[in-house]
Amino acid sequence: MTMTGSKNPVQKSLERDGGHLVRRSPGKGSQPKSGASALTMRLTQLVLALVVLGAWELLVRAGIIDEFFFPRPSDILSTVWVWISTGYVFPHLLITMEESILAFIVGAAAGLFLGFLLARVRFLERLLDPFLQMFNALPRVVLAPIFLLWFGLGIWSKVAFGFTLVFFIVFFNTLEGVKGVDRVLVDNARMLGATEKQLLRHVFIPSALTWIFSSLHISVGFAITGAVVGEYLGASSGVGYAIAQAQGVFDTRGVFAGMFILMFAVLIIDLLVNRLEKHLLKWRPSRSAT
Amino acid sequence: MKESVTAPAYAVELDGCTKEYPIPGGGTYFAVRDINLKVKPGRFVSIVGPTGSGKSTILSMAAGLLTPSSGDVRSFGAPVQGVNRRASYMFQQDALLPWKSVIDNVSLGLTLAGVSKADAYSEARRWLEKVGLKNFADRYPHQLSGGMRKRTAVAQAWIVNPDILLMDEPFSALDVQTRQIMENELLQLWQESGKAVVFITHDLDEAIALSDEVVILGAGPGSTVVGTYEISIPRPRDLLDIRDDPQFIDLHREIWGRLKVEVSKTYEAALAEEGEVA
Repeated sequence: MTMTGSKNPVQKSLERDGGHLVRRSPGKGSQPKSGASALTMRLTQLVLALVVLGAWELLVRAGIIDEFFFPRPSDILSTVWVWISTGYVFPHLLITMEESILAFIVGAAAGLFLGFLLARVRFLERLLDPFLQMFNALPRVVLAPIFLLWFGLGIWSKVAFGFTLVFFIVFFNTLEGVKGVDRVLVDNARMLGATEKQLLRHVFIPSALTWIFSSLHISVGFAITGAVVGEYLGASSGVGYAIAQAQGVFDTRGVFAGMFILMFAVLIIDLLVNRLEKHLLKWRPSRSAT
Repeated sequence: MKESVTAPAYAVELDGCTKEYPIPGGGTYFAVRDINLKVKPGRFVSIVGPTGSGKSTILSMAAGLLTPSSGDVRSFGAPVQGVNRRASYMFQQDALLPWKSVIDNVSLGLTLAGVSKADAYSEARRWLEKVGLKNFADRYPHQLSGGMRKRTAVAQAWIVNPDILLMDEPFSALDVQTRQIMENELLQLWQESGKAVVFITHDLDEAIALSDEVVILGAGPGSTVVGTYEISIPRPRDLLDIRDDPQFIDLHREIWGRLKVEVSKTYEAALAEEGEVA
């Protein structure tokens, strides 16, 4: 399951073919246009990464880049290894993930619920629209201090913070997704006898899923951002806290190590989301290459 | 014609139906005005008119998807409130649910009505065989050609065994050959069925070839019925050769004479509007 392999150049939008009885089987025989096979591309990517890291390492060793601000990649990796091998980082990572997952679940659930509700009840949408816009316009970071005061240094201030980030993304996407459902699909289902509840199940929810998934990648990232930023501002554990500790003693290696570990954690989560998306949206023609 | 003594309940009856919309800047836009349309059970009636003559509006009112601003819509004697439960609708655009496979799309009407999945599937298989798609049951709509999607839509509309079929230019997106094949198949299905069909098209050839009756709409906006023609070409008809039939040619000449006037009006109005904009 390489990511490059699934990028099919077929356009998903509006194929107005004249109705030829062509038996197309999508996904097959799609040759990468660049002429490079997936393996060569992977190797080239690896080379690129090595060149950049190698240049970094050399420039630091040569004294051109200040080691204090940009520690050598080899030192960062060894710090990562120390953090992992001693088990130092795992409790922190666990706390961060716990906060992220809670923020994501609560935020996404609330966003979905309110999104569906407002999309289906025009009155509520018009009533609440200005308030939602106001809250959404508020830069969320300024909430972190007040959440710290309200919910304390424990995980709940971070969950609350992550919630405000996740909620709005999922909410607006769901709202647009449900409202943007093709009128003809709704009419067709109604003509076939669908009740309001059946419309929701057979038409609105599947249609909104596309939108929700496109927001899922972003909102998962935001859940983690919320947790880390919250920890950074005030906590007693978590990766954000670990980074803040390292910064406190001018340990830039530790700061970078924390960044790397977070990066890989997010990548793994994103991979899982991709899997889920592929499974649930298997009816879609092809994913656009974003 | 109105003194029919038995007063049979019409499958579809529009009585003085007008549909108007308020224009945002003030005033009223009349989509259609004072439409009278009667379709007996088992009859194939086509509605032909120039672009913008409100053909789809009429069909949507018959379906109960639109409520007329004034006038009555009845189906088999009963006023249509909400969606017309005795009718199926075939849309001009693709209306298959893209996230359901072909067989799930076809069986949708049955599953919505609470038929068990096994029964719905076996009935859907029967229909897929009828429309020549039995090997495509597990495909998704985007994996089908335009013609195959239309066949799926036909099966989806017919499987619920409606008394009325409302068809809004269902084949207009298809190429000419595929379209003729689909028309032929539609007639075969219909001939055995005794269902009433209201068929919208802008193509007079298609209307005459398929129908028992052709209704001509005037130029929009605010169009109304300007002519009704009985098509007495005997059935069964062979659609591939029907255009050479002398009866067809006579009818075509006669109806086109009327339709032409409305088409020119529409065209001139469009030109005038363009002139205003420029």
